Amino acid sequence: MSGFDLDGMGERLLRRMAGNSSRRSFLTKLGATIVAAPVFPLLPVSRARAAKPDRSPEAKTEFARNAQTKDDTKCNYWRYCAIDGSLCSCCGGGVASCPAGTEPSPVSWVGTCINPDDGNAYLIAYRDCCGKAGCGQCGCDNTDRETQLYMPQLNNNVIWCFGTSSMEYHCSTAVMVGKAQ
Amino acid sequence: MASAQPAAAPSGDPNGLQPEEAYTHKLPPLSQRWGFVRGGWESGGTRILDGDSGKMLGLVQTTRWSDLALDPAGKAIYVAETIWSKINRGTRQDYIAVYDPVTLALLSEIPLPGRLIIGAMKNNFVISDDGKTGFVYNFSPASSVNVVDLEKRKMGRVVELPGCASLMPVAGVGFASLCSDGTIATVALAGKAPVITHSQPFFKAAEDPIFDSYIYDRGTGTAVFLTYTGLIRTAKMGAAPTVGEAWSIQAAAGLRPGDTRPLDINWMPGGRQLMALHRKTGTLYVLMHRGEYWTQKEDGEEIWVVDLASRKVKKRVPLKVRASNLEVTQDDKPLLFMTGDEGATIIMDGTSFEQKHKVERTGGGIIATVGGE
Repeated sequence: MSGFDLDGMGERLLRRMAGNSSRRSFLTKLGATIVAAPVFPLLPVSRARAAKPDRSPEAKTEFARNAQTKDDTKCNYWRYCAIDGSLCSCCGGGVASCPAGTEPSPVSWVGTCINPDDGNAYLIAYRDCCGKAGCGQCGCDNTDRETQLYMPQLNNNVIWCFGTSSMEYHCSTAVMVGKAQ
Repeated sequence: MASAQPAAAPSGDPNGLQPEEAYTHKLPPLSQRWGFVRGGWESGGTRILDGDSGKMLGLVQTTRWSDLALDPAGKAIYVAETIWSKINRGTRQDYIAVYDPVTLALLSEIPLPGRLIIGAMKNNFVISDDGKTGFVYNFSPASSVNVVDLEKRKMGRVVELPGCASLMPVAGVGFASLCSDGTIATVALAGKAPVITHSQPFFKAAEDPIFDSYIYDRGTGTAVFLTYTGLIRTAKMGAAPTVGEAWSIQAAAGLRPGDTRPLDINWMPGGRQLMALHRKTGTLYVLMHRGEYWTQKEDGEEIWVVDLASRKVKKRVPLKVRASNLEVTQDDKPLLFMTGDEGATIIMDGTSFEQKHKVERTGGGIIATVGGE
């Protein structure tokens, strides 16, 4: 595996959490958190374990090497390293905000993306905006450290419109959660 | 197409034009030469295409949020789906719609307590080999499996299955799925309470995941797994699965194995329904593209034809149009069905790899064939 293995850490964190309780109670708690907290703190602690990340081009994914920070209506905008869907910034919303008449999902899948301006990695929550037909604009499907359905928190296919009044998918945002290390 | 047109009343028209009555066709018996092509994200419905003629024979009603499964004996077409009473709002309804495979008439609806909403995926709705039980994956966002009695057309029990997804039936036992701890979970349903057992971990779910669109072969009770880097494994399923050793698809083609390192460009597997298995011959077809690691959803630019017994790539077939989804018919002269971003279906001879048909505007979704699901 490459030296840059942030979601490996996310996985370890999840496993630790799951290991400390039973898996089932972990998921039950996850469900309860979703109801209770409008912003679920996704993997906030995992960064502490990162030691001197390698940010050379040789250690970056193809997406990270080509990412930009100026235009959030393009698929290569840095925060979109694991997004799948229509960019809300092309649908009347913004990079972290929903278009009129739609509702942000309180839960999401997460990506760990590198900002090319400062070289830091940030946790990004890909919250869906829900309640209307698909926006259909600016379809992107980036897959850095994106895994499969058995790790839904790191899978970009799931519709995350849980806890919203409607589960219909409209578009996807990329909300900053915090610095990864 | 099977029905004859009703006889019309005689007419005195010199051109032979006669008054007609509208009528409805029936389908011929379910054929191994057909492909059931999902419309995909942009287009509803599942088009039934005859691989020999390239003609559309009919459409199965499927919404965007649905999964289609064929009864192994061909007695029914099942669609597990989710709708709301007011299209984008209102009361949510989850159910399995049961269709007659000849008339495509709705026979029944089986209410479900919920299901995963994700668009069509291959292993979220599967049917036991005897056709009696359906397994529908649910995610709420806690994961569970709805066990459905398809004979009585009734919802049965819900099995909670944390950390696992993507299902296959296990004959005489229940079902199995892949888990985030790198194991297979096998769920035995004989007793009052389900019994879940895990295999030893054999893959790294975050570092080199197994594609969840893996293949299950009912005939041999074997699953075929492929990882992002291109490692193939087979597993004999049963009360306790036996997982075979991993081997590299790139090495099987005489190339260096795939790696997770950035800037290491290689031929990598990618797509959505990215592999298909011709059961009788043990021939695996895999969509491959050139790229680095983390390009697991990139459409295939070649099909690699793998002989599972000898662990060799027998042929590499360049594609004119990249494909995201691939399925093969299970008869002796297999046909490949492919879809991709273009929203068309390519039908290709599975031995000569000659393109037989291109059917426009079918949608670019996943594909099912009889005996291939």
